[in-house]
Parts: sequence; C-alpha cells; structure tokens
Amino acid sequence: MESLSVTEPVLLILLSLADRPRHGYAILQDVQDMSDSRVVLSTGTLYGALRRLLDAAWIERVEEQDTPRGRQSYRLTARGRRNLQLEVSRLKHLTRVATLRVARKEM
Amino acid sequence: MFTVYRFLLYLYPPAYRSEFGEEMLAVFRAAQTEAWKNDTLVRSRFCAREIKGLVVGALSEHVRTIAGYDRTPVFFSRRIAMRSEFRFPKVTVTLMTIILAGVVLAIEKATAIQASVPDSYQHVGPIQPAHFTFLPTMLVIMGGACLAGTIGWAILFALHRSGLHRLAEFDPASHQGSGGRTHA
Repeated sequence: MESLSVTEPVLLILLSLADRPRHGYAILQDVQDMSDSRVVLSTGTLYGALRRLLDAAWIERVEEQDTPRGRQSYRLTARGRRNLQLEVSRLKHLTRVATLRVARKEM
Repeated sequence: MFTVYRFLLYLYPPAYRSEFGEEMLAVFRAAQTEAWKNDTLVRSRFCAREIKGLVVGALSEHVRTIAGYDRTPVFFSRRIAMRSEFRFPKVTVTLMTIILAGVVLAIEKATAIQASVPDSYQHVGPIQPAHFTFLPTMLVIMGGACLAGTIGWAILFALHRSGLHRLAEFDPASHQGSGGRTHA
C-alpha cells in the first residue's frame, strides 16, 4: 500500500470509481448505496478523501470540455486500481482467516 | 443552510477553497435538495453531518498545511473502528437522566441529614458546608500540565528532538523546487 491509509470511506470511494468515472454527488450516492446507508459521507469528508487520493495519484480528474465545477468527474489511475486490488486481497485474506477462526471457536 | 455552508467553507485554507470550494458547493446543493425532501429529523442529521464534516475537514487541511503532510488525528481515523461516523447511543440520554436524578436525590438526602444532626452532637460535630474548590483545582491541574509540558520540551530539546536544531540548520536555498503538489 502506498503512503495512504485506506479507511472505510476511502475504500468505498475507490470502489465507487472502480467501474466508471463519477462526479462528487454520484460518489456520495454510490457509497451510500454500497454500504446500505451505513456510510453516509458529508461533502467535507468526501473532498478531503478526494484531495488525498489526488495527491497520491490514485485518482485523477477526467478532463472534459465545458464541464461545470459541480459535475467534475474522477476516475481511478493505474496506481489506484493496483492499490485497490491489494486492499481487496488483504480483506479477502482477513475474511478467510476470520471465518476459520470463528468456525474453530464454534466447534 | 446554504449560506452557512458557504460561510463555513472559509474555515479551509485558501488554496483548498479555490480548488474544491465551488465543486463542494455544487455537490452540497444537490445533496441538500435530496435531504430537504425528507422530514425534520433527516434534515437535522444532514446539517449536523455536513457541519461536522466541514469543521473536521478544515482542521485536517490546516494540520496538513502547517505540518506539511497528512496527519489526521487518531480519533478521526476509522482504520480500526471501520465505522462511518460516531453514533451517539440513544440509551446514553436515559442513563444520564438516571445519574442526574441520583445526584439530586443524594444532595437532598445530605441536606436532610445535615439539618437533622444538631451542631453539638459529639460524635459528628458541626457539619460545615462544602467549600467551592473547582477553581483552585483547575488552577493546580493547569499548572501541573504547564510544568509537565515544559519538562517534556526540555527533555526533547536536550535530546535534539524538539526540531529547533533542525530548523537552525535549515537552508531554504537547497530546498527550493522540492515541494509542490502532484496533480494527476
């Protein structure tokens, strides 16, 4: 993982951008949908995370002509996608270990 | 609310505001339109969440600007908690009410006991009213904290870990052009 801690909101933002570019409000809604309304981002939290992701070059702005500021879209970079895959692998491993441990405890 | 939001954006550093301010306003307006279709409770939660997000976000940005790197305070980190936001447990209100009632009852009981015991009762003696000790206690705590801070800083200074030595050796000419943000 490269110099950025992947908190749950950050992970959800990255997942939101994994399939296609989205603008800020679409990310907010998608994060809420993905987490069954458990994670509801404020605009402050969203743009704080987007700023960090831009700085780390995990995401980039989609350059479009005549796009109003509110419809500015973001997409994953190759680095962001690689780190997202690493995080997903880490979570898979954690889930596997947790499943084994819980099953062992129940036996 | 929109005016309040616009005003609160001034908490952010100017560079951040010029880069994201307009975009944040547009997204906030869209989110507010959606939230305003619901009842008062949802609206209130929305407002509280947005204000908290702005204040915490602005604080983080200022810390980053001052320190030169991301240093999100530990208590804002969700790495361990994996929770989207702090949720105030509803049962806490009930517990606090019970505790308050207990304190009030204890005060009433103590007053009754004080009134029932004669001043000349030899086993107890006169019960004096409690003196107000909050201010002296706070002064002692603050004095202790200042002393501990001074000692800590002195130790760091003695170990060359306070940053002052590095600051004295800092040569601005050799660091020109090494900073700057990465824009993708």
